[in-house]
Amino acid sequence: MSTDAPVALAGRRVLELADESGAYCGKLMADMGADVIKVERPGGDPSRHLPPFLDDRADPSRGLSFLYLNTSKRGVTLDIEQASGRAIFERLALSADLIIETLPPGRLDALGLGFDALRAVNPALVLTSITGFGQTGPHRDFRSSELVAAAMGGAMYVTGEAEDPPVVMAGAQCSWMAATCAASSSMLALLHAGRTGGGQHVDISMQETTLAVSHISGVGKWLDDGIIPQRMGTGLFASVPSGTYACSDGSVYLMVNRPAHWKALAQWINQETGNQEVLDPMFEGPSSNRIEYRELLDIFISDMTVKHSVDEIYHEGQRRHIAFTPVNSAQQVVRDPHLAARNYFCEVDQPGLGRVRQPGAPYHHSSTPWRIHRPAPGIGEHNHEIYAGELGLEEDALAALAAERVI
Amino acid sequence: MLDRATEQALSDLKVVEFTAGMAGPWIGRFMAHCGAEVIRVESRKYPGVVRLYVPPWDRAGGVREEMSPWFTDWEAGKLFVALDLTKPEAVQLARRLVARADVVIENQSSGVMAKLGLAWEDLIAVNPQLIMLSSSGYGDSGPHSSYVTWGPNIEAMAGLGRLSGFPERDCTTTQFAYPDSLSALHGLFAILCALDHRARTGEGQRISLSQLEATVGMIGPQMMDCLAHDREPAKLGNRSLHAAPHGCYRCAGEDRWCVISVFDDAQWRALCETLGLGAWTDDPRFANAHARLENTELIDARISSWTELRSPHEVMEILQSAGVPAGAVQDTEDQFERDPHLKARGFFETIPHLTKGEVVATGIPVGLTRTPGHTRESGARMGEHNAYVFRDLLELSPEEIRGYEEIGAIENGD
Repeated sequence: MSTDAPVALAGRRVLELADESGAYCGKLMADMGADVIKVERPGGDPSRHLPPFLDDRADPSRGLSFLYLNTSKRGVTLDIEQASGRAIFERLALSADLIIETLPPGRLDALGLGFDALRAVNPALVLTSITGFGQTGPHRDFRSSELVAAAMGGAMYVTGEAEDPPVVMAGAQCSWMAATCAASSSMLALLHAGRTGGGQHVDISMQETTLAVSHISGVGKWLDDGIIPQRMGTGLFASVPSGTYACSDGSVYLMVNRPAHWKALAQWINQETGNQEVLDPMFEGPSSNRIEYRELLDIFISDMTVKHSVDEIYHEGQRRHIAFTPVNSAQQVVRDPHLAARNYFCEVDQPGLGRVRQPGAPYHHSSTPWRIHRPAPGIGEHNHEIYAGELGLEEDALAALAAERVI
Repeated sequence: MLDRATEQALSDLKVVEFTAGMAGPWIGRFMAHCGAEVIRVESRKYPGVVRLYVPPWDRAGGVREEMSPWFTDWEAGKLFVALDLTKPEAVQLARRLVARADVVIENQSSGVMAKLGLAWEDLIAVNPQLIMLSSSGYGDSGPHSSYVTWGPNIEAMAGLGRLSGFPERDCTTTQFAYPDSLSALHGLFAILCALDHRARTGEGQRISLSQLEATVGMIGPQMMDCLAHDREPAKLGNRSLHAAPHGCYRCAGEDRWCVISVFDDAQWRALCETLGLGAWTDDPRFANAHARLENTELIDARISSWTELRSPHEVMEILQSAGVPAGAVQDTEDQFERDPHLKARGFFETIPHLTKGEVVATGIPVGLTRTPGHTRESGARMGEHNAYVFRDLLELSPEEIRGYEEIGAIENGD
């Protein structure tokens, strides 16, 4: 798990006061080598109880979401609702470059730990807040969730079949995209603070990051062409042909964009099925020339794909530089030969649970490689290391804090 | 010297883009918004694909490279030069652009940069501190690394398409090429990490991103479930494994919907009281999340009979006032016309456009309160900034520029 190579974020200290909606931000930074300290309430963060669980045993040490989202972090418990907890948090903030938080807007201010208060003791500090709707505006106090972000952020209206209700993507894509943007924004603010000495408050809104991520079917295009994007299954509005096609043993996804790709596809269909009509020059050119023939072209393509296996269409299509790819189940993804050859999945030695396999690096840095530096922390696992070892609290003071359930 | 008062987060940064598709250009869009000088290299033979969009009402007009609304979303704010990189003289110019840059972003098909003489080894020879991101569908190694994909392919290939949607559907994908956006945001973060390392050590580096791998990572817990137990994770549609009610409900009007998600007993009581279901607050069938999950269909039917009489925004306002997470399923018109919050936050950005006057575009959601960034302009044609870049930035003489133009290395408009 660890190598001697340097880490990109060496010396960066991050405090994470985040639930499952923001924890991916801390993971991105921790796996790149930042010292991320996850601050949980005494007893542990509620996100430890999120299913699914390893071996289906509903135990707070076995939540797969928690184990995945908190790799490479250290963990302490602290009750910032109590004055003595807040005093400790302020001391931690003195040595931090960045604080990531997902509390309701205004909550940190009410506790005396808002951006202005923290900046007074640490002028270069960056405070990144991730919330459903941001820190300002009439909806700032609205409750959010993955569903609410997908709905208000425009992703949901355009996802699914026209005859079905709108539907969200699997997982927690809107929350995690907000967290990913928060990681980039935090880095932007840290780089700026490095040059100028001044930190800033970063205000991430899940609604806005969702709107940005889904902008292909967003306001800019609608204001320009007057067409409100709709749900249309797996086909794409502006790429014809596109979508899923049945094969003898599963299905493939196809997207044709450039004119040359259409010509290559038409030739293949002609060779395979004898279809002459598909070669008609009226189908050539940009996708816009083919929009009114979408259903007809889908039939031409299906006539070919249904006679072959997914693998045949995939590899022969790719040999012809046509973007045919398999529609994979999760079980097919974990067995994918390309991912296996790249050693994509990794193992993390999780105390008490053994080696837990999980997705690996999203990117490869040649000098400062991504890696998991330690498994997700147990509840309060680093209390002593940080409170005694780094803040210099005496043993009896620690015992008193524990007795008052501050830590 | 930069003016510290108006300085943006990336004011002193220089970026060169050799991008295609969408996962590359969106990184440069963010960086330009945050103050970086981003030079986008195109060639007439391979224009950026976002330029190819033809609105259905303008079919006869054909492809008009600067008019696509998607051009604004992916490309606004950059400097556009056109080079025929099949000519060695053009490659020399490209290397000179790289020599004065901090960051190169490329997402050409596998092997293209090397064939052109613009591989990592070629570029660090002219710029030893360079940071270079290569973003591709499959990454730069492995048996399928030369295969072609677009974002929507990856959504289905990564397992996200088959895990998403209602259980009776084979595969559900977005209309917005989600893996392109998510890869761009990961690529941006990867570059910023490398910049942090370089600021401390002076060392540049190469970054390689596989869009497939970045996408699989976004369903990490589901993949761990599959890896540990060798089974397909639950396909949930709009439901949750741990909360109920949790769904999308029909409202009054054509194709109008709202979502409601209840995570704890307090929210459940508030929902019941708002819907006039006071008797349900101490009904054992709904006593806790576990019981409510068992009786979801009964609950959903009652919620629908209430929402069907109201508009989605009315449902949202009523339930949010009671402390229940709820939201209107907004289409583009709702986002722009019926969302006072986005208006108050000034989310949509009005950007000067070289031919349309100005356009309104989805905001760049970085949320930097002190260095918010802005988008300079949109609507540039290929080679729009040739003169500025080669004359003013590279300081070539008029004769030199003419020479490159005559042999077709620098490509000018018709």
